[in-house]
Amino acid sequence: MLNILLAGIGGQGTVLAAKLLAQTALTRGWQVRTAETIGMAQRGGNVTSHVRMGDGGEEVLAPLLAKGTADLVIAFEPGEAARCLEYLSPNGTLVTASTAIQPVTSALSASAYRAQDVVEGIRASLEGGNAKLVVVDDAAIMEQVGNRKALNVVLLACALSQADVPLDLDDLRGAVQACVKPRFVDMNLAAIDVAASAYNG
Amino acid sequence: MTKKLLMGNEAFAHAALEAGVRVVAGYPGTPSSELVETVAKLHAQGVAEGVHVEWSTNEKAALELLCGASYTGARSLFTCKQMGLNVAADALLSVNYVGVKGGLVLFVCDDPGPISSQTEQDTRRFAAFAKVPVLDPATPDQGFAMMQAAFDLSERYKTPVIVRPTTRIDHASTYFDVADRTQARPVPEEGFEKDPKWIIFPKRSYAAHAEINERLACMADDFGTDPVLSAFNPQFTGGGSHEAAGENAGSADNASADIADAADNNASAGAAAPKVGIVAGGVSAAYAREALAMLEQRAAEQGLELPAYKFMQIGTPYPFPQQLVADFAEGLDAVLVLEELDYVIEEELLRLAGMYHLPLDVYGKLTGSTRDRGENDVDDAAERIARFFDDQVMAGVCQVSWHDPEDGRYVKALSGCLPRRTPYAYEAQEQTPLPVRPPVLCAGCPHRGSFYAVKRALGKRDAVYCGDIGCYTLGNAAPLHTTDTCLCMGAGITMAQGFAVAEPHKKQVAFVGDSTFFASGLTGCANAVYNQHDITVCVLDNATTAMTGSQPHPGTGQTLMGPKTEPISIEAVLQALGFKCIVKANPLNLDESIAAAQQAIDFEGPSAILFQQPCIQLKKPDPALVVDDQTCTGCKQCVTEIGCPAVGFDPDARGPLSKERGQACIDASLCDGCGLCAQICKFGSIKEAAHA
Repeated sequence: MLNILLAGIGGQGTVLAAKLLAQTALTRGWQVRTAETIGMAQRGGNVTSHVRMGDGGEEVLAPLLAKGTADLVIAFEPGEAARCLEYLSPNGTLVTASTAIQPVTSALSASAYRAQDVVEGIRASLEGGNAKLVVVDDAAIMEQVGNRKALNVVLLACALSQADVPLDLDDLRGAVQACVKPRFVDMNLAAIDVAASAYNG
Repeated sequence: MTKKLLMGNEAFAHAALEAGVRVVAGYPGTPSSELVETVAKLHAQGVAEGVHVEWSTNEKAALELLCGASYTGARSLFTCKQMGLNVAADALLSVNYVGVKGGLVLFVCDDPGPISSQTEQDTRRFAAFAKVPVLDPATPDQGFAMMQAAFDLSERYKTPVIVRPTTRIDHASTYFDVADRTQARPVPEEGFEKDPKWIIFPKRSYAAHAEINERLACMADDFGTDPVLSAFNPQFTGGGSHEAAGENAGSADNASADIADAADNNASAGAAAPKVGIVAGGVSAAYAREALAMLEQRAAEQGLELPAYKFMQIGTPYPFPQQLVADFAEGLDAVLVLEELDYVIEEELLRLAGMYHLPLDVYGKLTGSTRDRGENDVDDAAERIARFFDDQVMAGVCQVSWHDPEDGRYVKALSGCLPRRTPYAYEAQEQTPLPVRPPVLCAGCPHRGSFYAVKRALGKRDAVYCGDIGCYTLGNAAPLHTTDTCLCMGAGITMAQGFAVAEPHKKQVAFVGDSTFFASGLTGCANAVYNQHDITVCVLDNATTAMTGSQPHPGTGQTLMGPKTEPISIEAVLQALGFKCIVKANPLNLDESIAAAQQAIDFEGPSAILFQQPCIQLKKPDPALVVDDQTCTGCKQCVTEIGCPAVGFDPDARGPLSKERGQACIDASLCDGCGLCAQICKFGSIKEAAHA
């Protein structure tokens, strides 16, 4: 069973990211279930998508992950990575974007919200375990890609090139071709290459 | 047939189309909205032939329309969220007495949590109250089969049938084989046949009540015997020790064997017959099965196994398949029930135990053994099941082949197999607690300007802000604080009138969205004019039903069948209803909006402000604004007045006028360029990028 959790903020594109992962499972012939946050929380609230694949031929029943079972957590924002740390399995990989998105609540409050502090907090929380942390400099990659909408594909590409999961970048490319609106396919494929070279170059 | 990745609701649309549905109508509401949208999409693509699909003005309108369609013999499908059925209740309770002709299926989505709803009401309960059958899927796949079976069941007994998935079924995606084209089943040649039975009179209702009672009894039997329907109540046995030593790990093989096979196995292997059972409904059945597998594996790692148990899903909770469940419960001493929302199955089991004099202990919400509200999940189910098994072993009801090596006593061994805590947890650094991230009005949302203008127009006057259901409920949040009440669809307008009667010294302002205005605001407006209540109705007209995903409504004229109709003018409606003061404003123009609000609020008697500006989801963003670091003083007013998610505050930024205070900053990826913050800034520091 391959369990993946996507965490972000409404509007960041976690739903499409989950769909792309599900598409890779279909191509591989695995059973898959995904669960999304849709509704009020989509308005700038924190959202998660759960993706569960029977990569060993297992039957997937529940749409939601149990805690401590995520082989891969992909966070679109460091605070959201911290929020779902308890889902990470002992040997899992946590991939997080490094750019903080400041909620209105924190702009209004006296205490500042700094991405770097949260990333360090995550690092400290993982200390002593076997989990792997990948911090993606999303601002730099998105600058190169030139379209912030591709954040979901960039993070997926970083995750699949760094995590020990039975899916690779070609799976992702295939899924982009199958799921993304035709006029956005080339932009997303280019984004995958930029993200991949950021980690392999 | 094509294999497609579909969200539950999309799949249910395909299921209904494959069942030949002819008319589909509903009112949007999370988590139900995608079904109608999918039918509309397939119709627009030309692959769903012969179907009529519409967003009706509200749920009551939709269900009544479908009753008419059903009387002709057309297969008809109604969709709404749980509270939508409250609105349509009048039609549902009556049509059950009249009976239907073409299959009438009500797709009603419950929302445990609640995630996007006001209540945690349980539609299984509603079904029992209305005396109509209800099907409750554990997975989207099962829901697909239920949608199709529901139409057949409806026609077999001339009864409306409810299919009731929950959020985690509606919004879970998996692969489905779906037909490439569908054809709606034609209306039978004879169509609607005039007959006194279509007219509900007291005498007819008395006779119909007998028919209802009779068919409910038949359906309760069908749910246990009909091959299609009884498949919605699957059972299996698991756990249990084999006599041969060292076979502990082999018990997993039993897990999916059906009861007959298991009985054979037990007989030949000499294993104890199950004394305990797990009964689950809805998505909790999927959680329970995963939890049992998880528990079995964790226990095996400790050289322990689960006691022999029976498992059953109740996919047809009403009318309760009494005989089937009585057979299941035969020989069991204790049952744990896992279900969300109400204790429907639990109560039925208690009733059953009484009727059949079963020596059965029933554990669930009523005994504090399971969560009494909100969602269930795999972790929680595993814990509850482990505790239940442990308690039953300790009470001597069932056995497991394990003893403490020290003193031979069994002490909560299964619960001990579950990890005490998750492997990782975020240890918040003292200086940076994780920020809370509640949902907020989008950057550039025109509602922000409307709320702010009304607040400014009221100034220090004492006022009550009556909110309503929609994105604009988020007007409650800091720093706007412009929503004091929110009750149910359309209630803001009428509640304001109650406040006005009881507290005439205060100003009463009601906010209502354009879609909600048509769905259930008209009666309240008529009441305000009729009884001359001094209220101000602010219609936040963003030209769509935004919260549920931008559905059209009567004020847009856009229909799901394609052709555009003449939009109904809210202004003309209010005039016709007798509002003497109606003003209009663009909520992104602050001065204009404050002036309009001032005029309407000062008017004695019912008045209205139409704030008109399309939802940002419907338009291309304007260029993002920027903060001029040379003139920003760090006064923070742009942040503290309107609370836009695109406007942040950087405590580390420095400029000539801001000293050590920090400065405002605008997230260009979020900013919609609405310009409201620029109108707030007293120093002219927020500008279009080109002018900075």
